[in-house]
Amino acid sequence: MLEQNYPIRVAQIGLVSVVDVSLGAIVQFGDRAEATPRLNALAVQRAIDHTKAGSVYFESYPIFNRPLPSLVDPVADSGEDVSIRRFNHCPRINVGCIYVTAVGSTSSLLAGNAMRTTAESRIKHIRQYEAHLVKLT
Amino acid sequence: MVNFTVHNCGLTVGAIEILGVSAASMFQIGDSDYVTLYSMFDTPPESVIAGPIAPLPTPEGEEDAVGESPMAG
Repeated sequence: MLEQNYPIRVAQIGLVSVVDVSLGAIVQFGDRAEATPRLNALAVQRAIDHTKAGSVYFESYPIFNRPLPSLVDPVADSGEDVSIRRFNHCPRINVGCIYVTAVGSTSSLLAGNAMRTTAESRIKHIRQYEAHLVKLT
Repeated sequence: MVNFTVHNCGLTVGAIEILGVSAASMFQIGDSDYVTLYSMFDTPPESVIAGPIAPLPTPEGEEDAVGESPMAG
């Protein structure tokens, strides 16, 4: 149970500097209800040209279809509720300057309020080298 | 019944410097009700294959895979 009294808080920011936003990331100024960014990525690094190396498939790797872990919460399962009450005595959040170099992989940079955010990122790295190029110990 | 009461008084921050927000992370100036962040990242030492370069295996029933375009050709 969630209860919020008014006024809701407003973010007041002097300056935002972002260099790079990539891979399903969100940069948002303002409020939102729900966001569900998802990313599946196969990062392949090989000592062979991609055009000659053949295709890669998400289906080959179990990381892309394994189920998401579920939250084990014995208190909630026993039917006990948590009641959250918030009181905003000051209707503002003040921030001077924000410098962000990179935002990536279904992450979000949000200046504002959100109700529900569910982000999911699955990344599989494969590195394949020629044997004579790598010194194996 | 658990009662959780939050009092948000004034909040003022001078400057924030972040190198990176990555892999299902969140940086927010504001209020959130529910946040769920999942990140699976697989780079074990075994993921390095040193040997003769062979095409990566195609999965079973690859012809039936939909919504995925091949990387090459």
